[in-house]
Amino acid sequence: MDIEKPSNKTAGKPIQCRAPGEPLVIDEVIVDPPNSHEVRVRIICTSLCHSDVTFWKMKDFPAVFPRILGHEAIGVVESVGENVDGVVEGDVVIPHFLADCTECVGCRSKKGNLCSAFPFKISPWMPRDQTSRFKDLRGETIHHFVSVSSFSEYTVLDIAHVVKVDPTVPPNRACLLSCGVSTGVGAAWRTANVEVGSTVVIFGLGSIGLAVAEGARLCGATRIIGVDVISEKFEIGKRFGVTEFVNSKNCGDKSVSQIIIDMTDGGADYCFECVGLASLVQEAYACCRKGWGKTIVLGVDQPGSQLSLSSFEVLHSGKILMGSLFGGLKAKSDIPILLKRYMDKELELDKFVTHEMKFEEINSAFDLLIKGKCLRCVIWMGE
Amino acid sequence: MDNKNASSTAGKIIRCRAAISRIPGKPLVMEEIEVDPPKAGEVRIKILCTSLCHSDVTFWRSTQPPMAVFPRILGHEAVGVVESVGGGVEEVREGDLVLPVFQGDCGECRDCKSPKSNICSKFVNKDNQSMPRDGTNRFRDLKGEVIHNVLNVSSFTQYTVVDVTHVVKITPDIPLDIACLLSCGVSTGLGAAWKVAEVEEGSTVAIFGLGAVGLSVAEGARIRGATRIIGVDLNPEKFETGKKFGITDFINPATCGDKTVSQVIKEMTDGGADYCFECIGLASVMNDAFNSSREGWGKTVILGVEMHGSPISLNSIEILKGRSVCGTFFGGLKPKSDIATLAQKYLDKELNLDEFITHEVSFHDINKAFDLLLEGKSLRCVIWIDKQN
Repeated sequence: MDIEKPSNKTAGKPIQCRAPGEPLVIDEVIVDPPNSHEVRVRIICTSLCHSDVTFWKMKDFPAVFPRILGHEAIGVVESVGENVDGVVEGDVVIPHFLADCTECVGCRSKKGNLCSAFPFKISPWMPRDQTSRFKDLRGETIHHFVSVSSFSEYTVLDIAHVVKVDPTVPPNRACLLSCGVSTGVGAAWRTANVEVGSTVVIFGLGSIGLAVAEGARLCGATRIIGVDVISEKFEIGKRFGVTEFVNSKNCGDKSVSQIIIDMTDGGADYCFECVGLASLVQEAYACCRKGWGKTIVLGVDQPGSQLSLSSFEVLHSGKILMGSLFGGLKAKSDIPILLKRYMDKELELDKFVTHEMKFEEINSAFDLLIKGKCLRCVIWMGE
Repeated sequence: MDNKNASSTAGKIIRCRAAISRIPGKPLVMEEIEVDPPKAGEVRIKILCTSLCHSDVTFWRSTQPPMAVFPRILGHEAVGVVESVGGGVEEVREGDLVLPVFQGDCGECRDCKSPKSNICSKFVNKDNQSMPRDGTNRFRDLKGEVIHNVLNVSSFTQYTVVDVTHVVKITPDIPLDIACLLSCGVSTGLGAAWKVAEVEEGSTVAIFGLGAVGLSVAEGARIRGATRIIGVDLNPEKFETGKKFGITDFINPATCGDKTVSQVIKEMTDGGADYCFECIGLASVMNDAFNSSREGWGKTVILGVEMHGSPISLNSIEILKGRSVCGTFFGGLKPKSDIATLAQKYLDKELNLDEFITHEVSFHDINKAFDLLLEGKSLRCVIWIDKQN
């Protein structure tokens, strides 16, 4: 496809959604060149994450339309704006929705991964100047999504949201590290710091939960108990290291937490909530072990939802409740580490990809995910 | 009744005086009671001095189960001398100076063996009113009615019986009144800062409630090199007191105007404190503490015993943003190993504990200790039961 180099306009063929819950429409849009601290990237592959579906369906703020969704991807730098160091045209890069500017207090701290210069929010704009780089052919603004917007042949990314990676990585595997798999593996590795011999329970065996299982497996956990309402998830889960399964619909009189407490002789060392329900977080907290059990919240519930815990239980149980975004990872340092572990055949990514398709078929990725019939659908853009 | 020759009471019921709580919120009544000899695994202790902790007050004024249990001998912060031991007890003997401690330490269960936990799991059915090993009681009044104990200790009495897993030997080099502080409040606060939160140099810490526990957290944070220690209390006098323990900034929630305490703290600290400690026992304050913690890594530690049984309510998205919440009993410390370390730090003058003792009363004036604490006038009031030299 012809690319007009540094002129003001380049026509791409991105996809955008026009109204909540309606199929995405492939349209021509105009992608502005990168401003200062920005790079314009040609997307190679992108994959669908449940968070895209959530915002696609949402009717109210922070959902906005028209918008280019997608945030799990890999691409090649087409051009760079001013004040961009470390990345040049031709570099292979992975975008990441959680900023890593590497300079602010948050980024420099070893204890957390939240950038204070570009705090996380579901913004419709570019993070530095709150404007958009996308317009349709009528000149109407099209909004960004979490500073990535990868359902487009070209997108513009702030340098704080881009990490250069090894160009020899298979793109249809590497793109997974841009969100979901990193979140799950990171949660086990960095947030929870699962150690060898641990017992882990994972509530929700979607891609995130299975990525937690993969991460826990790599950390040397000996028991990885999966909890879900669909029995088929156990067979799938076994490939990711799940050793035992509890179907929360088949618990009879007992609560899930009671069953897990019985199975683990007192509770698990680590419990991960990967669904996004306050009630499940409470269940997870109940079945982590007194004394040192950690409950890790990864799932996102409705805005404003509250977790309610017994004060006495919090005081006397010694349990820890914690949460993280993006698995507690610092994108620019940790994504390359995980990629290397994949290339060294320690971290397994192939099993996450259940479908691959062309850009034009993107709506079937949504259908598959909504029906629970896929893990990751990788969408190849262009040639 | 007080025998100089301790062995003449061994194996026998002792009659002695105790301050009994019979009616919620009413003054304790000094009565003669009978104290059974220790059974297997138990130790009978002659209490020398004891101090009042706010948790005793919470139990004292509770009217609902499970906290309300009457008649009861309160008190769980104390130091005493072993009068006799039950069968199988070898780690302490008659004459040893010991602290009874509400937090168990058997040394054998999975929790005691793990460095990560201090919640001894040897006795699973502790009901906080009777002996942990067999669920029976050792105190009776002179009408023969059972008097319940509290927190496996019960120290507002001349003699008590405590399970050996709740007894810690302590060096006689340490002044008695300082020793008894280490059996609860001060150790809890220090441990919370050191072991649970692991406050590091340069940290910003916020402490909600500047009683003895909150001030021990401050002392612990100060020693670890925290650069800002923000104290939150409704009593403005606590700021002057607090400065002695390392408090650098003070917030009185009553004078924050339109802003919430957490907003004020976030502004002062450019985003929130690294560590927030709740040292009162109110769910609303626990929520404030959580909201005052910094996103990314802010840790909230709950030390207070919630007074009304209210739940803690946390905003889900704020948890996702890298925060954590945990509670702690006894500051995460293992009594039998860690108390001695604290005692030594006091003797080496690394730890300032003298300022915690603000008042002293004799046993028969024990109710004054309650008044002083409720009026916010005391940190620790030491109650002398037997002022040995």
